[in-house]
Amino acid sequence: MSNTIAATASVTVTPGRRLGVAQEHEAGSGTYVRNGIIYSSILGTRVISDSSSNNESSAGPKATITVERSNTKFAIPAIGSEILGRVVRMNPRAASVAIMMVGTTPCQEDFQGVVRVQDIRATEKDLVQMIDSFRPGDIVRAEVISLGDQRSYYLATVKNEHGVVFAQSADGNSMVPVSWEEMQDPKTLAVEKRKCAKTF
Amino acid sequence: MASNVFDRRRINGPQRSVEPLYTAKAAEPFANGRLDGRALDQVRPIFIKTGPLDAQSPSASAPSGSAYYEQGKIRVSCAIYGPRQGRQSNARMGSFDCDFKYAPFSCSWRLSHIKSSDEKEIALMLEHAIGPAIRLEAYPKASIDAFVTVIESDGKAATIAAAINCISAALADAGIELYDSVAACSMSMYGTQWVSDCSQAEENASTCSLLVSRMPSVDEITYLLQHGKTTPEMTTQAIQACSNDCTRVYAVICRYLQATLE
Repeated sequence: MSNTIAATASVTVTPGRRLGVAQEHEAGSGTYVRNGIIYSSILGTRVISDSSSNNESSAGPKATITVERSNTKFAIPAIGSEILGRVVRMNPRAASVAIMMVGTTPCQEDFQGVVRVQDIRATEKDLVQMIDSFRPGDIVRAEVISLGDQRSYYLATVKNEHGVVFAQSADGNSMVPVSWEEMQDPKTLAVEKRKCAKTF
Repeated sequence: MASNVFDRRRINGPQRSVEPLYTAKAAEPFANGRLDGRALDQVRPIFIKTGPLDAQSPSASAPSGSAYYEQGKIRVSCAIYGPRQGRQSNARMGSFDCDFKYAPFSCSWRLSHIKSSDEKEIALMLEHAIGPAIRLEAYPKASIDAFVTVIESDGKAATIAAAINCISAALADAGIELYDSVAACSMSMYGTQWVSDCSQAEENASTCSLLVSRMPSVDEITYLLQHGKTTPEMTTQAIQACSNDCTRVYAVICRYLQATLE
């Protein structure tokens, strides 16, 4: 049961199956390498992606072996990943965010993240006001910059495409972004300040 | 004579008397071969179903993976929650926690709903047996929780082995990254003979029991538990035989897991 599998079409593999040799293949997601041999780490189907055949030399790019799973796996935030979350609590120095999705994969239970006031914007960090950037209940897109402390991941909305993606005005209507720092209620035409995400 | 009056001057017997229940005398475990006709080194037939507790639509309260495991009369079910935010968040590795509970109707004596120290000890054993198999460095700050319920128990060491196998199947169903599935098997010593996978009656007649849990692909034993006294040679012999049984159990687990994807 630990024989190397011949390179044929999709094969179901269980964790711990030998998939190939590290010298001949790249180890993709769902695999791990031990003593130069690539093993599968999850239950799924083995997929060998064709290496791009531009380079004909022996030191050319290797085919990647990945193990894919058909049903959704729950995600955990990793450094550099983009997350979608809901602002839960705020104080002048930091906003607590409940991380609901990492990329396009949902989290089984909300993870705790925090956006510190110096990580909201790229410029004029000392002039940022938390109350003009987020409000509790806003849905924000942010990036994980650090694994953070005991309780929360550290998030940042510094990039243009990060920030508030959905917010409700004080009257309860969904607001539309009008600039990078303002959102408007289409019914009452009231303008509220938020650090908006550039969605286009 | 039934009487509603309580006689305070005398020590009263019970108001009602009932004839006690006599259970039929159980057959001797090893009198004529084994009770269920198995060979001495034969493991009970195994059945695994993954995903019985998974929700039809994704919801936060449903487990990420689950498995139902049967081995002879032993029935165990396991639910995996995670990876989710852990209480002690270690930035380098995730943590694996196990919760073990006998259902009150699972053993021959009725058990209490409150977790006993025995169940807490078994939960620690399961953590030690399964922990090394999980790639915890892939889940920093997260925690993976396993909740095991024994629905019917038949042989203490065999039930713990069944719990280990059930958790392995549930982890694979949950998509948690593992180095390998863990397979476990137990043996008991009767006289000078080691007998594989003993039921409760056979275990009661034995002098020593051994539990081995193993990862066959990487050829590592993750947990070893012996109850009773033997010589080192007998234990070594038993570990070897039990490891072979573990490999057979592993093949069965893998076959069931593969069948779920086909």
